[in-house]
Order: sequence, then C-alpha cells, then structure tokens
Amino acid sequence: MATEVVVPMLGITVEKGTIVEWLKSEGDLVEKGEIIFIVETEKVTTEVESPASGILAKIIVPVGVEVPVLTLAAVITEPGEELPAEYATRAIEGPPGKAKVKTQGEQAPVSTTPPQTPATPTGSIEAVPAARKLAQEKGIDLKTVSGTGPGGIIVIHDVEAALKPRVEPAVKVSTLARKLAEKEGIPLEGIEGTGIRGRIMQDDLRRAAEEKAAHGLGKVVQMNSMRKVIARRMAESAVNAPHIYFFTDVWMEPILDFRQDILPDFEKKFGLRPSVNDFLIKAVALNILDFPILNATLKGEEIHILPEVNICLAVALPEGLMVPAIANADKVGLAGIIQQRKDLVQRARSGKLSMDELERGTFTISSLTQYDITYFTAILNPPQSGILTVGKTRDELAMVDGEVEVKKVSTFGLSVDHRIIDGAVAADFLQNLKWKLERPSFTFLTV
Amino acid sequence: MYDLAIIGGGPGGYVAAIRGAQHGLKVIVVEKGSLGGTCLNRGCVSTKCFIHDGKTLEAAKTSQVIMGTGTLLIDPGKMVARKRQVVKTLVGGLGRIMESQGIEVVQGKGELIAPGRIRVGMTGGSIKEYEARHVILATGSKPAVPSFIEVDGHYIQTTDEALDSEDVPGKLAIIGGGVIGLEMACIYRILGCEVIILELLSDIIINEEAEIRRAMRILMEQRGVKVNLNTEVREVVAHDGKVEITYENDTGRSQTLEGDRVLVATGRTPVLEGIDAGRLGLNTKGPFIKINDRFETNLPGVYAVGDVVGGMMLAHKASAQGEAVVAHILGGRKEVKPELIPRCTWGFSEIGSVGITEEEANAKGLPIKVGKFQYMNSAAAQAMEDVTGLVKIIGNSETGEILGAHIIGAHATDLIGEVGMAMTMESAVEDLAEAVRPHPTLSETVMEAAMDWSDLAIDSPKKSR
Repeated sequence: MATEVVVPMLGITVEKGTIVEWLKSEGDLVEKGEIIFIVETEKVTTEVESPASGILAKIIVPVGVEVPVLTLAAVITEPGEELPAEYATRAIEGPPGKAKVKTQGEQAPVSTTPPQTPATPTGSIEAVPAARKLAQEKGIDLKTVSGTGPGGIIVIHDVEAALKPRVEPAVKVSTLARKLAEKEGIPLEGIEGTGIRGRIMQDDLRRAAEEKAAHGLGKVVQMNSMRKVIARRMAESAVNAPHIYFFTDVWMEPILDFRQDILPDFEKKFGLRPSVNDFLIKAVALNILDFPILNATLKGEEIHILPEVNICLAVALPEGLMVPAIANADKVGLAGIIQQRKDLVQRARSGKLSMDELERGTFTISSLTQYDITYFTAILNPPQSGILTVGKTRDELAMVDGEVEVKKVSTFGLSVDHRIIDGAVAADFLQNLKWKLERPSFTFLTV
Repeated sequence: MYDLAIIGGGPGGYVAAIRGAQHGLKVIVVEKGSLGGTCLNRGCVSTKCFIHDGKTLEAAKTSQVIMGTGTLLIDPGKMVARKRQVVKTLVGGLGRIMESQGIEVVQGKGELIAPGRIRVGMTGGSIKEYEARHVILATGSKPAVPSFIEVDGHYIQTTDEALDSEDVPGKLAIIGGGVIGLEMACIYRILGCEVIILELLSDIIINEEAEIRRAMRILMEQRGVKVNLNTEVREVVAHDGKVEITYENDTGRSQTLEGDRVLVATGRTPVLEGIDAGRLGLNTKGPFIKINDRFETNLPGVYAVGDVVGGMMLAHKASAQGEAVVAHILGGRKEVKPELIPRCTWGFSEIGSVGITEEEANAKGLPIKVGKFQYMNSAAAQAMEDVTGLVKIIGNSETGEILGAHIIGAHATDLIGEVGMAMTMESAVEDLAEAVRPHPTLSETVMEAAMDWSDLAIDSPKKSR
C-alpha cells in the first residue's frame, strides 16, 4: 500500500516549511526511519525520516517551494506496487528561475548514447563557454554534469570529470560480508579487510561494529540523526543568540517539606506521586506569566511572545538528549503535569514522540540534581529565549538570626538570549522564581 | 641460539619449519623417525597407495570392455614395495626442501627440558642440547589401543604394523568403524580378505552426514564387509595361530569371533615422549596439550600444533596450524577455523566433507536449505563408469552462507577442496553455482548441487515438492 509522506508539523508556531534538500530521488529504495528530506522553517531545519520502507515513487513538493505543513510531499510505494493513479498527476511547480538540475524532482535520465543534437544552452543550466564547447564535442549532456564552479556553474573540469569512466573504488568484500553489511547497514568504506589482499570478511565487519559500539579513543563515529540535529541546533544557538548567565541559591527545604506534606493526600486523590521537578515545572510556568518575555522568540525584527507556556524537560537517552515539552504548564494542574511528564519521558525512551511534542516548547528546564554538579550553564534550545539549570541539592551553612544553621540549597542558573532579554529582567525572573519556590504554600495555593 | 626449534617433522612441524625459514627464522627440527610424520610414513599416503592399487584392480575386474584370460590379482609384496618407494621419494624430496631452506634437521628423540631448551637423544647415542626463542611441539599421535588389548605386531596389529605387512590374512576383524577402519577394510577386502568391522557406536564414521554414512554402509555391505554396530569388544586373545575376539552387542549377549588377525583402529593418542607435562607444569586437556587460540601452551614461548593438541587429527589441519603458529610467532595473526577444514575418507567410495551436517545445522536452529546432486546425472561419472555418488550442500536459507558440504563418490576428496575454498572466501551457495565448470567433469556435480539449492539444477529432473 502506498504511504504518504507529508511536510511534518514543525511546532505550534510554524505554519509553513520549505524543503531545502531531497536526499533521495524518485525510484530510490528507502528504509523506514531513513532521512529522506530536509525541511527548513523560519525556526529550524529538520531532517525528516521516511515513515515507511519501500520505493520513493513520487516527489510532489520540489526543493525551494514554501508549502503549508502537512502538505503531501511524496509517496512511497511497496516494491512492485504501481503508483496509485491519484498521485500520478499531483505536482507542485518548482520556484521559477531557481531550478538546479540536481534538485529537480525528476532526475535527468543518464544517456548512454551521445545526443543526436548538440546540447544547446538553456537558461537553467549554467556552464562556462569552454565547458559547453567540450561537452558539445564529446557529446556530454550538460544536464548530467554537476557544476563545481562559483554558484554551481559547470566549469571545464566538471565536463572532464564526467568524461572519465566512473571508476568506483573497488571495495573488495566477501559475498557473505557484503550481505551482512547490507543487512546491518554497516558502511564498507574505511573497514580494514583482513582477508587475502585486504578483502573484507565477515569478522572484519563484526569487529568494526564492535569497535563502533565500544568506548575508546582514536576512531571515527558516524553521527546518528539525533546527534546531527543536536549538533546543528546547539551551534546555531551558540552562534546566533548571545547568552548571558545568572545564578542564585534556592533554599530547598520549603519545597521539599511541602512535597512531603502533601504527598499522602495527593497520592490518595490522584494516584500520582509528584516529584520535585513537577513542582519546578509548575513554578517556572507561573513565573513566566509574570515575565512573558521569557516565553518569547525572536523572528527577524519582531519579538513574538508566544501564546502558550510549554515547558521542555530534558530526557537523557543513549543516543542523545530529547526535550519534549509539557503543554500549557501554566494552565494544567500539578496532576496534569505529572501525567504529561510520565507519558512524554516514557515515549521519548521508546522513540514515539511526535514532532509537535518535541518542537512546541517555549522554555526549557535542564536538571542535573542526580549528579554531583553544583551549578552549570546551558545553551538555549532554539528558538527559545530562556533555559533554567538546576544543580544538586547540597547542605550549606547559613547564618539565620545570628545562628549558624545547615540549609539545603540548590544553585539555579538561567541562560537567556541577551538580544531580547536584559540582564535586569533575567535577574528579576530568577529572583522571583526563587521566591516562589521558597514559599510553596503560597505559590501553589491554587494549583 | 635458534629462533625456532620444532619437535616433530610431520605435517605440522615441517610446514612450520619451512614457513619460519621463509620468513628468515633460524630453524631446527628434531625428528626421531623420518620426515613427514605419520601421514607420509605410516598413514594417509601409504593407504592412498594401497587404495589406488585396489581400485585399479577393481576397475579392471568390473570393466565391461577389458577382456582376456587369466586372473587379475594384486601381489601384496609388490604393493608394499611400491608404497615404500612412494614414501621414500616423498621423504627424500622433503629432506631436500628442508635443506634448501637452510633448516637444520636433527635425527633423534627430542625432549623439552624447559621453555626454550631442548635436549636431543641422537640416533647415534650422544646427547645434545639446543636453545631457541620459540619451541613448537608437533610430536603427533600414535594408534590408541584399549588397555585390555596387547598388540603383538602380527596377530594383533595397529596400522603401524599393518601398512608394512606383506601377508594378507584370510579373515580380519577390525575394531573401530572410523575413517581408519573403513580404509583398511576396503584395502583388505579388495585383497580378498574376509573383513568384519566391530564398531562400538551406533554407526560408522559417526561424525559424517547421515545420508552419506548410510550410502557408505550399503557400499560396504555390497562388497561383503560385515559391519557390526553397537558392539563392545571385551577380550582379544591370540592362540594357536588364530585370534579370538569376545564382544557384546547391544542386546548384551556375549559372542565370540575367530579370525586370523585383528586390526585395532580405535583412534589415536598424542605422543608425549619427551614432554613431561607434570615436571614442566604444562597444561593438558585430557590426554592432549592445551593451547590457546594463538597456539600457545601455558609455558612461555612454547607452542603446540597438530595431533598432539587433539581436535581433528588430520595432516592438513596440522599443516594449517603449522603455518598459523609461525604467523603468530612473527607477530601476525592467523586463524585455523575447524569448520573450514575438510575431512576425507577413502573406502569403497571416497567421502569428502567440510563444515556441519544437516542434523547439526538443525540442532543449532539455523534456517537451512539443502541442495543435492546425484553422480548418476553427471556425464563425467557416466563416462568413468562410476555413477554411485551424491553431493549435498547445506546453506543458510537467509544469507546463503555455506554451512556444510558432503560428497560421497569418485574424487569426492578432490571436489570438497573447492567448497572449502568457497567457504574460506565467504562465498555464498550462489557463488558455487555461478562459477562456470568445465564439461564433462565431476566438478560440475558441485555446481549442480549449488544450483539445486536454489531449485535451479540443470541436469537433474524437476523435484516433486
């Protein structure tokens, strides 16, 4: 059965997206979970995975056209299945004048015989005259040549390269090793073959896979798609948003005692156990209502203060980090926060989060209370403007009414985008949050 | 000081010596008998000579076209003399190869006195000591004889004596239905001897594919060899020019058999003379020397290969290990995988096999498919008047991995080599089918069996499934 691939929902504030690259061409085999295209919005660039395994039978949204989210982008059919007729005529025009040969929906067929008529210059293929002449002499279709000159223009070298017989570096590999590599998706490049004359054997693949899995120095590790997204977004955030950092010590006994106090009754009533984090999420959401600028995002020259308070909670996974967002944390009750949190964490671990749950966040909390970390700074989760960090709760000596007392203290940190949030505002936000957490019975009066 | 000292100049030891010398090592080999070990002097090569002679006679006798009067027969004296000549040629050739490589061969009984130190009781009577950085123990094996049997060399023999005997008994009992028992049964039967095999287990050559075993059993019975399975020999006594064997069959009934001679073919045991494991603190595994996957014993710089380490007791396994151990000594790495070592049996028909049986594959829970081809459908086999044979290939139905191949029939032991090659190259069954074979040859039988694995055999009738 044919599977539709749509431009995904990219967050509550995103209505449109532009496919910037198709990583697969029509007719290619695709695996479920394999990245098939990259979509860009004003917020982020996202790699989109194939929802099914099969043949990428038809690309409907070409590169460079902005389309509403959920627009049908492509159709995947099962091997041997005909493209259903209703899709056959579906097409979205590419942007005028911008067409690049490589990124057109349908690829130019590679001609095995020289064209009858010399390749004529067309507006869409840019080539230097010498390259055009050589191509004409040798009967090379410029459509099959990818340009490496400025702006992708085809230079003479590109035509020469196209003339050379394509000699794939012959990777010598045993039949069984090749089958194993295909099955396990292990790239053969870079694997040292221990067979006769460097032939790659099954054991070499197994060893390579083991080395990949083992921790150690001096090796190349391929980034998985999650790591690539994290890398891109962190770099984007660090470069684009000037960060400033604030720290304060929060006296934790009030919130810890408050939690202990209400725990029996709360459990009895809701059947749920609130964690300190749940109180924290709620307190932050309430605090944002006092400082809406912390719920804002910068778009061009406008500051958009977002209509919903969705608090992201970092979930560590073996492959990396996921930050699903608890929706409307300011409005839902504590029980609602707990239910959302448990559900999101569980689904994050099993890889079943929706794009919306991952992208809807407006503010992030990153907690390292389980670690022996006093305090730390965080990089903003773009396009958000604030992120709160929480260190371990520790014992600290404090002067109370002239007496030395032991207090349980945690250092909270706040990173903000200094482009839109001033230092004083950030300081106020953090101080206000401290006040809220140290006076829980008042803060959570109505929750 | 030598780089490498090897005790034992058999297929394990001499291969290691040559390989070591080729890589510039200063090598010394200690050999108490003749170079070439059991295989060349008292085993495979000898029996191959006899089998060849026997089969030549059989082929002539059963030929539809060779005519004439008179009786064709084998002269046992000449047969043994020819074998001696073959062995002499090969041993001499080996000696020249060793010499050409600059390997020092010392004639005498080697003794490992400590890691890196060897004492040799020279054939002349003197004693010499040698030091070497690395020592390989390649002392081989000798016939294992149950404690209640006393080998007298005439009435009660092992292969050591039998292969040099020029007289043929009228009635021979062979204790053991393994590879050695089968080969000897074939030789003696062709020489006109009445042969009875007494096998303790439920079948002959128990490690082979069931279908192949059955075919071999039928062939033996057709030729008049009596095979008694599940038979435990209790007593062997020689008296008045006869041998009396008392045995118990699976019903528990005690029976007596009288013959002219008994051949004890109950396996082989390691030769450990000169290797005092207890004194040296050398670890053993049962009667064998224990090694790790780099052929190292627990003693520093002391390695062991071949029959003395147990496992498959085959000359080519010893040689493969001999090559591999030198690779390790030189700082490299080379594996000898048991599943890639071909096994051979020469009897009324040849058996060549490599890898695991269908039964073993099923026991491992592997998804398998089996391809078969009958010699009957081979043009070459028909032309050779030798149409009894079967090629069976077991492959993983998902990956195409060749798990095992089992061939019975003419030249099966030659044919199995190419399957071993394919397995070593990690080829799939389809690769075996892909390579074009010359016609008409027996090599096509392997190709056809591989094609049949994919249900695409050309020279077999369509299967009814």
